[in-house]
Amino acid sequence: MTLALPPAEQKFDGSPLGALVRPRTSTGLKGWLTTVDHKKIGIMYGAAAMFFLLIGGAAALLIRIQLAAPNQTLLGGDAYNRVFTMHGTVMVFLVVMPIGAAFANYMMPIQIGARDVAFPRINAFSFWVFLAGGLMLNTSWFLGGGANGGWFNYAPNNGIAFSPSAGIDFWNLGLFIAGIGSLSGAVNLITTVLNMRAPGMTWMRMPVFVWMTLVTQFLLLFAIPVLTVAQLLLMFDRNFGANFFNVSQGADPLLWQHLFWVFGHPEVYLMILPAFGIVSEVIPAFARKPIFGYPFMVASGAIIGFMGWGVWAHHMFVSGIGPLSVSAFSVATMFIAVPTGVKILNWVATLWGGKLLMTTAMWFSVGLIVQFTVGGLSGVAHAVAASDTQQTDTYFIVAHFHYVLFGGALFGFYAGLYFWWPKAFGYLLDEKWGKWNFWSMVVGFNLTFGPMHILGLQGMPRRMQTYDDAMGFSNWNLVATIGSLILGVGTLLILVNAMISRRRWIADGRPNPGPDPWDARTLEWSIQSPTPEHNFDYTPQVTELDDFWHRKYAMDENHNLVKIADAKDLAQPGNGEGVHLPAPSFWPILLAFSMPIIGYGVMFSLWLTIPGGILMMASLYGWALEPADDLDPKIDDHDGHGELVNV
Amino acid sequence: MKKLLTGAPVALALLLAGCGDDSKPLNTYEPQGPKAEAIDRIIQPIFLLAFVIGFLVFGVVAWLIFNNRVDPETYDPLDFPDQVHGNAKLEWGWTLVPAVILAIISAWSVPAIWDLEEKNEAGELDVLVIGQQWWWEYRYDVNGNGFFLDVDGDGVAGDEDDLQWPLELLLDPEDVVTANQLVIPAGQQVDLTLTSRDVIHSYWIPRLNGKRDTVPGRFHTWSVAANEAGEFTGWCTEFCGISHARMRMSAIALDKPDFDAWLANQSEAAAIPEEGSIAWEGREVFQAQCTQCHNITEDLDDPANVVAALTAKAAPNLTHFATRAAFAGNIYSQWVGIDPDAAQMDVSTYLDLGANYRFNEPELRRWIRNAPGRKDMAPEDERGMTAFPQLSDEQLDQLIAYLETLD
Repeated sequence: MTLALPPAEQKFDGSPLGALVRPRTSTGLKGWLTTVDHKKIGIMYGAAAMFFLLIGGAAALLIRIQLAAPNQTLLGGDAYNRVFTMHGTVMVFLVVMPIGAAFANYMMPIQIGARDVAFPRINAFSFWVFLAGGLMLNTSWFLGGGANGGWFNYAPNNGIAFSPSAGIDFWNLGLFIAGIGSLSGAVNLITTVLNMRAPGMTWMRMPVFVWMTLVTQFLLLFAIPVLTVAQLLLMFDRNFGANFFNVSQGADPLLWQHLFWVFGHPEVYLMILPAFGIVSEVIPAFARKPIFGYPFMVASGAIIGFMGWGVWAHHMFVSGIGPLSVSAFSVATMFIAVPTGVKILNWVATLWGGKLLMTTAMWFSVGLIVQFTVGGLSGVAHAVAASDTQQTDTYFIVAHFHYVLFGGALFGFYAGLYFWWPKAFGYLLDEKWGKWNFWSMVVGFNLTFGPMHILGLQGMPRRMQTYDDAMGFSNWNLVATIGSLILGVGTLLILVNAMISRRRWIADGRPNPGPDPWDARTLEWSIQSPTPEHNFDYTPQVTELDDFWHRKYAMDENHNLVKIADAKDLAQPGNGEGVHLPAPSFWPILLAFSMPIIGYGVMFSLWLTIPGGILMMASLYGWALEPADDLDPKIDDHDGHGELVNV
Repeated sequence: MKKLLTGAPVALALLLAGCGDDSKPLNTYEPQGPKAEAIDRIIQPIFLLAFVIGFLVFGVVAWLIFNNRVDPETYDPLDFPDQVHGNAKLEWGWTLVPAVILAIISAWSVPAIWDLEEKNEAGELDVLVIGQQWWWEYRYDVNGNGFFLDVDGDGVAGDEDDLQWPLELLLDPEDVVTANQLVIPAGQQVDLTLTSRDVIHSYWIPRLNGKRDTVPGRFHTWSVAANEAGEFTGWCTEFCGISHARMRMSAIALDKPDFDAWLANQSEAAAIPEEGSIAWEGREVFQAQCTQCHNITEDLDDPANVVAALTAKAAPNLTHFATRAAFAGNIYSQWVGIDPDAAQMDVSTYLDLGANYRFNEPELRRWIRNAPGRKDMAPEDERGMTAFPQLSDEQLDQLIAYLETLD
């Protein structure tokens, strides 16, 4: 990977106190391991998500190769189940969620004019505990095989009687641990948005991406605990002989489904809303006009966040919950299409009459609009519950949610990567490679998942290890497999692009792209690229929505838009003198990695929980007692004396 | 680029064209019963509407890109478009209009949810469907006293107190018990009561109705109905473990007289082969090796046979094994020349398979010898059939000869 911030020299000479000296370095490996800088943490979220994307993508390709032709035996029934379970689990929890977190971490603070998030060490902890849980989940490949209960992991198949191997324990405890990261991250980011906005940035002056981040984090805050409850019950069932999901002891297996989907449906929205936020930033920048109907965009996002809690049972239309419940959830699900449709139409209206600069970021954004619309329309089709009794658990559903999550969310994230890459890394991604990246993904994506609509309506059930030629699924499956290979290559082109662009940028000795390469609208473009470690030399004063843009352009007396200042002159110079930043810390990563040790202990030997517990307690104490007096004595805060920050 | 943009609607158009092909046995676009037709009537207009809206959005976006595109190389950054911030009337419009459309769709489609739940009048045919890893059991209440026994002895069979008991104590041994192929009379609705012995499965015969989960500890109602005689393929559609892909079934609709003949035959006890014949030897092998799990119901006046029926573990009842077309979760043909996957069997032969086809001895032999090698199962956890390497070739011959007599 080429993900490295240019070295930022920071010298501290505080005094060593505590068990581990508070690290002083912000460079090198140690700098990354101990960082509390939201930008580095954001980049690490992104890098980790890309790493897991390789794992989840490899699993996807295995599935597609297995299904390329009828009666193939590359994967047996057990292996296939593990591969498709891990594909879904990894993609949802370890790819889409952390890419969202990457953007939220990196961009949200600088979009609101803040120097960091509210709790920098907790931010580091959130990342490391996500990584610890994710890695623990994936060690299952080497310790008896991946999880095999599906990402939804329905009871009672998830019980020890039906799934005796440890795969589901890894799923259960790995995600449990990763969920702690999501939860602490949510508290952190919500606090940041609520408390750390630059003066003048009222609610209705916040960029749409910040709004969507806020809604997303609230969804996480309330959704993750529901999953955690289910996982806790399952842990007691599987590892300590409890009977929460044991039917012969009177349990009702639908309890798991309700818990899972009360989490699982808000989960869907918290995966897509960050991407909605991103394209709401990208489209105005390249359409050269403001987002159409900002209040509607914000309100519809918030309404999706609320309504997302009232539709979970549409995953259970054939579970036998009774016609009254089915009717209620069917209607509720249909109406959630209203705020989503508003978003689509407002983006289209933003394009309408615009001067469209079709950069790669813009192409990915319109890709989201069109592909998400397809996913949304198929979503309405199975909101109609009677129709859903034919479609559910077929490939039609597979097509639907890939159009939403890949064609929607991931395309949005790619738009964000192309858009904000210069801000994070100080060079632009190559546009020619970017177009290849986009078009290969569009072609590969639609070839892969378009035919799945047809396959599903032709009756191909999901989670099928194989099928027979007589069922008539062979041709479209072959097309889908060819598409998936194109898509696999296309998805990776961004890494190729990053490597080539970086090398070329350095080799050609090109100048820094400057603070505002796209002539964009929000505060992150008012500081140098790459973002200085301290973000803002001084706190910006906000007077309008799209504040930075209004400092560049204004109406003259004839109501013509004229340039009043150049971005280069407006941008803060990036001089960090006099700025205090929180010092790095060892404790977040140590605390985070104490958790999988305890997790392994629950699975394999309770003795392991002792060293894990000791490390956890030591880390908590170390964290609490860590000295905050590591200020460079030469650095004073604005009020003339060093601020002791211990968070 | 233009080609790519026009390629997408072509692909979408293929979607419609690709459906409605009757060489696909699970096709949801080929309803052949009133329930499936009711669903189809809902699906078609909704998909049409979805297509129209989808094409509109796609078309407008594509048109905007071609029309409003500017070249970044030559574009003058001060050449601004109109800085429109929004239009409240327009936005309320595209909030309310879709809301009204969706309200209409709701009002129009929700009644279908209730229609699908509609049951027959009491006294019509009702079949208990039990899912288990990885095959289907069917129980026909031929004696008219319900599927369940009066376990708690309060004089009411199958009441709520009875249903608290494990399924194996509940099931009426006098009912007709079959596996994998659901035989129904054509032209009438057959109510199903669905449950499971282990994990959740889902019962789906797409040409006859949508799907409904079979959940252990719960008894769901559902129904199927076929307009005409024929075979209709189905597949378990809730993920249920390592052989989920090999848990299939079919519904075989017979004309009413044929169905009555079939049910009368199924109601009979198994024939006992002539003493000393090969089949008789096979029965001995069966009783020594197989009865722990499988049951072949002989005369139920003999209490020993009742005990055998009640204590056999969950495995297909083989009483009329030779009347079935396929076995092992409907994946292996029992008769040479029938392809259970293609499932377009001529049902006129179903009443007398033995006269029209040759018994599939090689397949059965491979299966009995090493069932877990023929289908992913976990016999070590009592989930699926174990291998029988200890049987001699002669014993296998005898066993298969016996199975062929079970018509």
